[in-house]
Amino acid sequence: MRLTRSTRCTAALAAIPLLALGLAACSSSSAQSTGATSSSGAAANSGGSRFPVTVTAADGKVTLSQAPSRIVSLSPTSTEDLYAIGAGKQVVAVDKDSDYPSGVPKTSLDGITPNAEAILKYSPDLVIAYADSNGLVADLKKVGVPVLIEPSATTLDDAYAQIEQLGAATGHATTAAGTVTSMKSQIATAVKQAGAKHSDLSYYWELDPTFYSATSSTFIGQIAGLFGLKNIADKVDKAADGGYPQLSSEYIAQSSPSIVFLADTVCCSANAASVTARPGWSGITAVKVDDVVGLNDDVASRWGPRLPELVDEIAAAVEKAPAQ
Amino acid sequence: MSRAIRALTVAAVFLIAAALLGALVGAADLNPWGVLATLLDRIPFVHLATGMSQLDQNILIQIRLPRVVLALLVGALLSVAGAGYQGVFRNALVDSGMLGSSAGAGLAATIAIVFLGGLGTAAVPIAAFLGALAGVSVSWFASGGGRQAVGDGGGTSTLLLSGVAVGMFLTAAQTYLMQRNSQDLQQVYSWMLGSMAAASWTQVTEALPYAAVSILVLLVHGRRLDVLALGDDEAHSLGLNARRTRLVVIAAASLAAATAVAVSGLIGFVGIVVPHVARRLGGPSYALVLPLSLLIGGAFLSLADTVARTALSPAELPIGVVTAAVGAPVFIAILRRTQPVRE
Amino acid sequence: MSGLTATDLRVELGRGFAAVDGVSLRVEAGCWLAVIGPNGAGKSTLLKALAGLLPYQGTVTLDPAPAGRTRRDLARVLAYVAQQPTLPPDVPVREYVLLGRTPYLGYLGNPGRRDREIADGAMARLELDGLAGRRLGTLSGGERQRVTLARALAQQPRVLLLDEPTSALDLGHQQQVLELVDRLRLDDGLTVISTLHDLTAAAQYAERLLLLDRGRVAAAGTPAEVLTAARVREVYHAVVSVNPDSDGRPALTPVRPRDDGSHADALSTLRDDGPRENT
Repeated sequence: MRLTRSTRCTAALAAIPLLALGLAACSSSSAQSTGATSSSGAAANSGGSRFPVTVTAADGKVTLSQAPSRIVSLSPTSTEDLYAIGAGKQVVAVDKDSDYPSGVPKTSLDGITPNAEAILKYSPDLVIAYADSNGLVADLKKVGVPVLIEPSATTLDDAYAQIEQLGAATGHATTAAGTVTSMKSQIATAVKQAGAKHSDLSYYWELDPTFYSATSSTFIGQIAGLFGLKNIADKVDKAADGGYPQLSSEYIAQSSPSIVFLADTVCCSANAASVTARPGWSGITAVKVDDVVGLNDDVASRWGPRLPELVDEIAAAVEKAPAQ
Repeated sequence: MSRAIRALTVAAVFLIAAALLGALVGAADLNPWGVLATLLDRIPFVHLATGMSQLDQNILIQIRLPRVVLALLVGALLSVAGAGYQGVFRNALVDSGMLGSSAGAGLAATIAIVFLGGLGTAAVPIAAFLGALAGVSVSWFASGGGRQAVGDGGGTSTLLLSGVAVGMFLTAAQTYLMQRNSQDLQQVYSWMLGSMAAASWTQVTEALPYAAVSILVLLVHGRRLDVLALGDDEAHSLGLNARRTRLVVIAAASLAAATAVAVSGLIGFVGIVVPHVARRLGGPSYALVLPLSLLIGGAFLSLADTVARTALSPAELPIGVVTAAVGAPVFIAILRRTQPVRE
Repeated sequence: MSGLTATDLRVELGRGFAAVDGVSLRVEAGCWLAVIGPNGAGKSTLLKALAGLLPYQGTVTLDPAPAGRTRRDLARVLAYVAQQPTLPPDVPVREYVLLGRTPYLGYLGNPGRRDREIADGAMARLELDGLAGRRLGTLSGGERQRVTLARALAQQPRVLLLDEPTSALDLGHQQQVLELVDRLRLDDGLTVISTLHDLTAAAQYAERLLLLDRGRVAAAGTPAEVLTAARVREVYHAVVSVNPDSDGRPALTPVRPRDDGSHADALSTLRDDGPRENT
C-alpha cells in the first residue's frame, strides 16, 4: 500500500494525543461495528477535506481521488445526511424510497435489490448504499465506481460517525462536523428537559400491526433509553429475535405500558384512535392517559439528521406520562 | 343411527374441551380458576367472585375469548366448506380453495395491501372476501357454468380444471404485484399464512351472518350430496336437479370459505383433512359428515390457534404452519388406524 | 297403474347423429315391454329418453299423468335403474335403499319413520333382510342387482325402467331377478320396460317386444310375432332356430354353420358391417 498524505497524517496524530474537535483536519471516531473511520489531508480548508481521501466504510477502505460530483444515494438515511451536510448539489440520483428533503432527485432505483446497470446509467462517481446486496460493490468495482456501504446504525455514535464520514468523502467535513454538533446539543437539551431517570415508566415500541417490537438493545431502544425508560419487550427477547421480538395483544395488555410509540403510522395506518379501538387495549395505561404517540415511520426508522425530531417526540411523550 | 349420535357427541365434547383449553391458556398469565369463574359468572343469574383484576378480565373477555370463538367459527366454516366441495366433486382430495377462491382472495388482499394500504386494516378482509367470490365465479363461468357433459361427471372435471387454471392465473398476478412492491412483502405473507391475532367481537359479529347462512344451506344439502354421489343420471331419476344442487352447494361453500379467509387469511389443510376424519368417525353419508366436520373443524382450529399463540409466546406462529405441522401427523395416524375410505 | 305412450321419438347424441329415430311405442298399464336389438341399436338411449334423462324430440306421455311437471313429480311415478349403477362401496344397503325415498322428502331432506318402513318393505320383498347393514362394496352381483331394484321399489313407482338388469348375472341369478321383477309387476301392477340382451329371456317374461335396429323400430308385437328366424337373421345377422316352449313363447337356439358352408353367408355380412358401438 503506497504512502499517502493521509498515512502521514495518522502518524502525526499518533504523536499528538489531543483531538482538536474544531479542527476538521483529521477526525476519527472510536471503532464500531460499522468501522466508520476516515482520515483526510493535513490542513483544514473551506470545504473541510482535502482530496484524495480514504474512508473506511462497512465495505472496507474506499479512496476518492477528488470530490465526487455525481453521487447516487441508495439509502434514504444517507440521502438525508448528504443534504444536511451541504452535498446536495453533488447528488444526481437517489433511490425510490428517499423522500427527504423534498425535491431530491428521486428515481426508480431500488435500494433493497440494487441493479448495477441501472445505477451506472447515471454515470456516478460515488455510490452510497446501506447494504451490499446483489453483489453491488463487486459489480461497481469492475467499472471503477467507488461504493460506500453505510449500514443501519447500532448506536448514536454510529449515526454521527456516518455523517462525518460522508462529510469527508464529499468535501464537506466542516459542515458535517457542525451538523453533528448541533444534533448532539439538541438531543442533550431534550433529555435534560424531560429528565433522564424515568425507570418507573414503561413503553411499547410498535413496528407493525402484528406487534413486532424493538427492545432496548436496538438503536431505537437506545434512544428511548436516554430517558431511562423501561421497554416491555426486553423480558421476552430471545437471542434469535435479534432485538426485534414479536409480542402479542395479551402480553402487551397485561404489561400495560405507560407510553406506546407507533412506528407504523404510514405503512399501516396505525394511530392513537385505531390503537384505542383494539380489543382489550382500553385498559392499558398509555391508552387511559392518552399517551399513544404516532411517529412518522421514516423519522423513526432512519438514523440521519432528523434524529433530534424523534428525540423531541419521545421527550414530549415522557413529559406527558404520569409519574407512577 | 346410534353410530351417528355417538359420533356427534364425541365431536361436540371435543369442541367444548378445545374451547375451554383455549380460554384457559395464553400469553398473559391468567389464573385458570379466575378464568373459569369469569366464564361462569357471565351466565345469567350466576354470580361468582372471580378474584381477577379488571385488567385481566378485560384481557380475557376482549382479547382471548373472541379469538377462541373466531377460531371455532373459522375452523367450522373451512371444514364444512371443504366437505361440501368434496361432495360436489365426488373427490376426497378437493378443498374449498380449489375453484380459485384462495387465489382470488390472495390477489385481492395483495391489491388492498399494496394500493389501498392507506385505508387501514379494514380494506383487506373485505377485499379478500370479494376476491374469493370473484375467483369462484370466474371459474364457474369459464367452465360453462358447471354444465354437465353428456353422461356423468364430465361437468365436474371441467369445473375443477377451470378452477385450477383460474387459480394459477390469479396467483401469477399476485406474485407479480408482490415482486413489484417488495416493501409490502412481509405484510402480504403474514396475511397469507393466516392469523387470528386481530380477533375481536366485532369481527365475530360481522362474520356471523355470512357464516350462519352458508352453514345452514350446506347442512340442509347433506342428503342431496348423498344422492349426487350416485351419478347425475340416477340423481335426476330420483327427482334431483344435479346442476342446481351443485351450484347451490358450491355457492354456499364458497361463501363459507370466503368468510373464513376474510377474517383470518389463508389457512390450508383444514378443509381437506377434517372431512376425512369425520368420514372415518361417522361413515360416508354427507348428511352426517357435514355437521360432524363443523364440530371437529371448529375444535381443531381452536386447538391449533391455542398452540400458535402459546408455543413461542408471546410471539405467534402463523396458524397455517400449525395446522399443517400438527394436522398432517394426526391425519396419517388416523389413516392407518381406521377403515379405508373409498370415494 | 300407468300406461306409457311415446310418439315419434328422436334422440340426437351430438353432430346430428340420431341414436333413436322415429320410435313410437305404447305400453299398457301393468304390462312388460322388452326392448331388444343388437349392440348400438339405441336401446339404452331410448330408455334414458323415456326416463327423461336425455333431451328428445317427440312426446312421451304417462297415463294417468304425474301430479305435476317437475322432475320430482316424475320421480314419484317413474323409477329408472341404469345398466351399471354407481354403488358407493361404503354405503350400507339400508341407507342406499333409503335414497329411493328422495322424491318424497321435504326440503330438509330427512327420511321419517314411514320412509324407513317403506324402504324396509322393499328390502324384504327382494329378500335383502339379512343384508341391511352390509356395505355395498361387499355384495355379490346378484345381491347388488336386487339392491338396486329395492331402491327403485322404494320410490313406489308405477313405471319401472330397467336397463339390462341381468347382464352381469349368471343363469340362476338372472332367473331369480327376472322372477322377482315379474312378481312385483303382478303384485303392484307395475308397468315394466326393460332392455334385455337375452332374447329367450325377453320372450319368456315380456308380453310385448320392441325390436330396434340402428335407432329405428324393426318390429313390435308379441314375442312370437317379433322373434322369427328370418328377422333374427336380418337384424342380428345370427342364425337361430325358433321353437315355441310350453307356454307358446318362442325359445331361440343358436345354430352352428354346417360343414357345407350353407350358413357362411349370414356370418359374412356380420363381418362386413364392422363393429358397432354399444349403447
